[in-house]
Amino acid sequence: MIARLPLARLPLARSVRFRWLVAAVFVVFALAIPPLAGLHEQLNPDVSGKFEIFLATSAIVLALWAVSYNLMLGYTGMVSFAHAAYYGVGAYTVALLFGRFHVPVLVGLALAPLVAAAVGLVTGLAALRAVRLYFSLLTLAISQVLFAIAFNWYGFTGGDNGIHGLQLPDQLSDFTNLYYFVAAVVGLCLVLMFGLTRSPFGAALAAIRENRERARSIGINVKAYELAVFTIAAAFAGVAGGLFAVFQQEAFPEMLYWTQNAQPVVVALLGGTGTFLGPAIGAFVYTLLDNLLSKNFPYQFDILLGAIVLGVVLLVPGGFSALPALFTSLRARFHREQQPETVESGGESIERADAGKIVRIEAVHADPAPLERGEPLLIVDHLSRSFGGLHAVQDVNLVVLAGDRHAIIGPNGAGKSTLFNLITGRLKPDSGTVVFAGQNITGRPPHQIARAGIGRAFQITMIFPKLTVLQNLQYAMLAHRGRTVRPFGRADRMFRDDAMELLAAVGLDQYADLPAGQLSHGDQRSIEIAISLALGSRLVLLDEPTAGMSPFETDKAMELVRRVAQEKHLTLLFCEHDMEVVFGTARTVTVMHQGQVLTQGTPDEVRANPDVQKVYLGELEQEAVV
Amino acid sequence: MNPAQLLLFAVGGLSNAAYLFIVAAGLSLVFGALRVINMAHGSLYMIAAFVTVVVAEKLGLAFGFWGALVAALILTGVVGAVIEIVVLRRVYREEHLVQLLGTYALTLIIAGLVRIVFGPNYRTMRPPAIFSGSLSVAGFRYSVYSFVMIAAAILIAAGVYLMLYRTALGRNIRAAVSDSELLSASGVNVARLFTVVFVIGACLAALGGVIVAPSQAVGSSMDTDVLVLAFAISVIGGLGSIIGSLVGSVIVGEVYSFGLENSYTNQFALAFVFIIMAAVLIVRPWGLFGTPEQ
Repeated sequence: MIARLPLARLPLARSVRFRWLVAAVFVVFALAIPPLAGLHEQLNPDVSGKFEIFLATSAIVLALWAVSYNLMLGYTGMVSFAHAAYYGVGAYTVALLFGRFHVPVLVGLALAPLVAAAVGLVTGLAALRAVRLYFSLLTLAISQVLFAIAFNWYGFTGGDNGIHGLQLPDQLSDFTNLYYFVAAVVGLCLVLMFGLTRSPFGAALAAIRENRERARSIGINVKAYELAVFTIAAAFAGVAGGLFAVFQQEAFPEMLYWTQNAQPVVVALLGGTGTFLGPAIGAFVYTLLDNLLSKNFPYQFDILLGAIVLGVVLLVPGGFSALPALFTSLRARFHREQQPETVESGGESIERADAGKIVRIEAVHADPAPLERGEPLLIVDHLSRSFGGLHAVQDVNLVVLAGDRHAIIGPNGAGKSTLFNLITGRLKPDSGTVVFAGQNITGRPPHQIARAGIGRAFQITMIFPKLTVLQNLQYAMLAHRGRTVRPFGRADRMFRDDAMELLAAVGLDQYADLPAGQLSHGDQRSIEIAISLALGSRLVLLDEPTAGMSPFETDKAMELVRRVAQEKHLTLLFCEHDMEVVFGTARTVTVMHQGQVLTQGTPDEVRANPDVQKVYLGELEQEAVV
Repeated sequence: MNPAQLLLFAVGGLSNAAYLFIVAAGLSLVFGALRVINMAHGSLYMIAAFVTVVVAEKLGLAFGFWGALVAALILTGVVGAVIEIVVLRRVYREEHLVQLLGTYALTLIIAGLVRIVFGPNYRTMRPPAIFSGSLSVAGFRYSVYSFVMIAAAILIAAGVYLMLYRTALGRNIRAAVSDSELLSASGVNVARLFTVVFVIGACLAALGGVIVAPSQAVGSSMDTDVLVLAFAISVIGGLGSIIGSLVGSVIVGEVYSFGLENSYTNQFALAFVFIIMAAVLIVRPWGLFGTPEQ
């Protein structure tokens, strides 16, 4: 056996300290640049201190742009080709207001994020009609339309010439003052964004990045959060673009062209997308490389950028957000330390599960207004759904009574998972209705159904693999209670005790700080079940809860579920292949066959039903033939 | 606008549509089977166009174009095979954003290499002797080469169709489109099939590049120029659908041609294309002839 607790915690604390140290060094460095540049010029007369300060200004603006891009790329998992367009919109806001309406540039700068956010919101509404790849392509189209407007509308934007000759207030005409001004604005924006990433809002973004489907089923409105972060990122890109217009005193259409997105992407990858400050540090490296190489070797510079992106994509397994982990493991290998990342759970933690503890946890709510036992909680009425010619669920009627433990059984392809997907909103029914606690929830989106009080454990394990075990539960609690709209506060400190208690109750407390994806299959199933309990739902749907668990784990897990359901007035609806689990847990059993309900009754009635025996016998025969 | 003018712009639009179809069909074919958006597709097209101009110059007008065609197809095919084996194979199982970034990196690398090898200047070439000249219809002159491009696109469309629906390879590709895991379970070497599909896609990009070279200036920005149009076409027609590419390229080619014609709209001809693309994506995210992704 591997000793666990100390190993799992120690490096975490060290890396947190390391990160704060890096941040402090970064800030001190940024503040010291003008005096350092002056010193450099005194020591070496060939050097222009002004030029170095100018470079530092552009680096710091790039840092803001890249960190805002990383809100999408690294924190939410979105690739947008329109971010350069919002950066350009910010720059044009300042330049046009000055050039056409003689508005002072600082007023323009204050308006830049608002205009960029407005454009981001409107175009984001269109872009987020699509997901993933199609979303990326749609942002490309948006970016090209905005570029075409800037490039071709000579009368207003100045066309391909752009707008030049912006005048700054006297105080900012000095390079050093301008640098500190830009640095102050960027610093403020970074602080705001940092707060955002640690807030419950940021927790929702992380959940979406890790597993969109799971995020929905814990009650997160994925589209709304994506639109929000898209708009927020656009606003900060607008600030960055506005600052560009201020210190370069110009705006030009190429800023909006879609290939310009290479800059924030490369910078974010250089510094590491899994960290907040990484892209900001990457911006300084990029600016330095750019200045050293691109004058003399412009094409080689492109190749270098490509090589960096390709290197990160190919050499960092599991994507670039794993980059810090790669460094940690390389460092550990270098120091011949034992690698804490390789600690794996043995799967026996369920042994220590204690249902009694769960019962005492407030967060796992008892039903707020418990229905009288025996009243119908979920009514499925003539529900149908077909795929092409296949009637996966056909005219199904089902009533789940409050406080019941209701099993759905049936051979493979009987339509059990489809029925669950219809109830939880993952699929929309062709016809029929679903009524839950008196509310018609037919065809509602998954997050609304989750918030209405239906929790779900999936057949395939659906957890947030790179989040810690503790965060998996905390974020579920946050999301389900609607707290993730808060853009301030620290998500990791909320529901900590409740989540810890729940972990202890399912025997997983010792793994609290490990990434959930590193646990054994059985333990991941336990997390899956714990998430569905953490939601504090009135009805919990378990789709083959013990799939892949050992017989021992299965017994323990089901005992836990039974006990919690009983004490907390939870209603259970589950499907399961293991007949021992079914007959040991259920009080009502519905048998499905070929998309239809075959029969329903108590376990004893169902067991004695000859039709049921025939269906199962038939399946056995088929399997024998195969 | 009188009918003669209408015809002029319609033919102009079709000759745009011709080379765009050839390029977009390759992009779409690769996406259909491999589920990867190849951002480097335009780069392969650009390589072929540059190779065509250079080889045609070396070999002279009589045989230059044909020699260039062979050289461009071979070189681009080899580059395509290398890209598939070295890069794409390692990202098939990753998320879309990793694949986008990986092939995006290739566009940066290839653009840099092309500028080093061929220089930053625009180059032009004339069509091969038998396709040069012009003919006059209803008072307007049409270059013969426009019709050659349209004919070539029709031939290639027919070729791709026959390949997909009349050969064993085509059957395997269509099977890979619907379920590559099942195909692999039935004993087909899917890794090799994917390489072949990618090389075919690369060769389509190359054909587009070869065919476009005598009709346009060949320059180092043509990779992204064609890529965004090929995206627009694939998205309008539906990624993965060859018929969709055909319809999409006619829409894009004609909109572009007629948009340029009108003096009020000519500044925004390209914007129209993307507005149509956005409109299609919003109403029908999987395109006119595509199928929704699971």
